[in-house]
Amino acid sequence: MSTSSAPVTIRANAISKVYGDFVAVHGLSFAVRKGTVAAFLGPNGAGKSTTMKMLTGYLAPSSGSVEVLGKDPGVAESRIELARRLGYLPENGPLYLDMTPRELLEFFAQVRKLGEIDKAIDRVVQQCAIQEVLHKPIGKLSKGFRQRVGMAQALLSDPDVLILDEPTSGLDPLQIREVRKLIRELGQQKTILLSTHILQEVEAVADTVIMVHEGRLVFDGTVAELREGDQTLEQRFYALAGGSQETTASATASTTKKAKAN
Amino acid sequence: MGIDWTVIRAIAKRELGSYLGNPAGYVFLTLFIAATGAGAFLQPGFFARNLADLALLNKVMPAILMLFVPAVTMNVWAEERRRGTDELLLTMPVRDIEVVLGKYLGALGVYTIGLGFALAHVGVLAQLGDPDSGLMASTYLGYWLVGVAFVSVGLLASMFSSNATVAFIVGAVGCAGLVFAGSAPWASGIVGCGLIAGAATLIWVAVQGNADSAGYVAVGGGVLALIVWLTGTFESFQDTFGLLGVERHFYGFGEGIVRLGDVVYFLGIAVVLVYLCTFMLGRRHW
Repeated sequence: MSTSSAPVTIRANAISKVYGDFVAVHGLSFAVRKGTVAAFLGPNGAGKSTTMKMLTGYLAPSSGSVEVLGKDPGVAESRIELARRLGYLPENGPLYLDMTPRELLEFFAQVRKLGEIDKAIDRVVQQCAIQEVLHKPIGKLSKGFRQRVGMAQALLSDPDVLILDEPTSGLDPLQIREVRKLIRELGQQKTILLSTHILQEVEAVADTVIMVHEGRLVFDGTVAELREGDQTLEQRFYALAGGSQETTASATASTTKKAKAN
Repeated sequence: MGIDWTVIRAIAKRELGSYLGNPAGYVFLTLFIAATGAGAFLQPGFFARNLADLALLNKVMPAILMLFVPAVTMNVWAEERRRGTDELLLTMPVRDIEVVLGKYLGALGVYTIGLGFALAHVGVLAQLGDPDSGLMASTYLGYWLVGVAFVSVGLLASMFSSNATVAFIVGAVGCAGLVFAGSAPWASGIVGCGLIAGAATLIWVAVQGNADSAGYVAVGGGVLALIVWLTGTFESFQDTFGLLGVERHFYGFGEGIVRLGDVVYFLGIAVVLVYLCTFMLGRRHW
C-alpha cells in the first residue's frame, strides 16, 4: 500500500493518441505512486489498452509525454532501460503457440539477457502455478493456463513495475481468485497498473482507481473516493461512463484538482 | 551502444525453430528440392549436352526462388502481427534492428538449410560425370546470394500486412521485379516505375513523420515515372533500371566467376532492405 509521499513511478502528462480522424485518447494526465496497485477502469473501447501501449513504449503518444521509472519510453535507449525493469501483459495475452511454456520463458529470458535463467524460470513457474503444463505446447493449453503463462512472462525479470492489460480476462472464478491473490502479493513490493472493466476486481485488488471513458479521464482517486456517498461502485461506474454530462464534468473537476495536487 | 548478438541469436533461433517445428516447413523444403531437381535434370537437353553442370537449373533458379523465398518469409511478421506477439517482442529490452536482424537471419537460415539439401544435386552430377568443384562452389554461392537478397525482399513484404497470403504475393511481386528487370525492356520499365513510386512514398513518410496520404504519393510517383518512361523524357530509363536485374549479376556465378561487384549487388540489396524493415518497424512510434 502506497502513501501520498511515495515517489511517482508512472506519470502521463496530457497524452493523446490520434488515428486519422479518430481520437482514441484525449489529453490524459495521471500519476501512479510507488508500491501502489492502480486499477485502470473503463468500459470497453475507453482507451485503456492504447494508453498502456503508450506507457510501455510500444506506441508513441500523438501529443503529451510519458514517464515510467523516470524514463521516457519514447526515446530508444531510455525505453530499453525501462523495459528491463518493466513487466507487461498485453491484452488477450498473446503468446507463441508453437512453443511450450518452458521454451517461451527461456526465449524471453535470453532476449532479456537474464543472468540465472533457470532460477528465474523456477520462480515464476512457482508464482504462477504452471508446473503441470510446462512442457505442453501453449496452443493446446486452456485460456486460463495461457493467461498464467503470460503472467509468468511478465514477472520473469522480477520487474519493479507491472502493466497488466485485463489480467483476469477469460479466467474461471477459481483462477480469477488466484490471479487476484497473486496481484495483491506482488503489490506489496511493486507498482502495478492493471486495466479492467470489472468492478469487483477494483475492490479486490486496487488501492487507487483511474477511470477513463471515451479516451478522457473521468475519475482519479482511491476506491473509497470512487464510492461516493451512498452510491455503490456500480452506480458510480454507470454515472461516470454513461451518465449525464454534469456528473462527468463534476468528477473531472475533482480529478483536475487532484492532478494539480500531485 | 552497439547491437547485441545474444538477442539476435535468440530471435533467429526461435524463428528457425518455429519454421522447422511446423510440418508445412518440411513440405516447402521438399517442394524446393523437387523443383530445383526438376530444373536441373528434367529439362530437355540435359543428357544431350553431356556436361556435368547445373547450367539448366541456373536459368530457372531465380524464378524458383522468387516463389520459394516469399513462402518462407510470408509469416515472419504477418504471424506476429496477427497473433499480437509483436507487442510482446517489441516491449522487450531490445532494439528494432536486433529484432529485424534476428528475423532476417532466421529466415535466411531456413533458406540455407533448403539449399543444403539441394546440394544433393551435386551428388547426382557426380554419379553421372565429373562436375568441377570450383564451378559447383561458385554456383551454390550464387544461389545463396540470390537468397540473401530475396529474403530481405520477403521480410519487407511481410511487414505490409498481417495476412500471410498478401505478404506472399507482395514478396513474390517484389522478387519477380528483380528477376525480370534485366530480361526485357518492358520489365525494366515496370521495375523502375515501382521503385520510383516506393522511393517517393518512403521520402514522403520520412518527411511527414506519418503514413497519411502515402497511398496517393505512391500512385502519383508511379504515374509520373510511367510518363517519364513512355514519353522518352529520360532515354536511359529502361537501361538504368535493367542494371538492377538479378540475372545480370547471377550469371557469372553459374560460369564459375565470382565478381566482387555481383557480391556487393546482392549484399547491398539485403542491407538496404533490412534498413527499410527497421525504418518500417519504427512507424509504430509515429
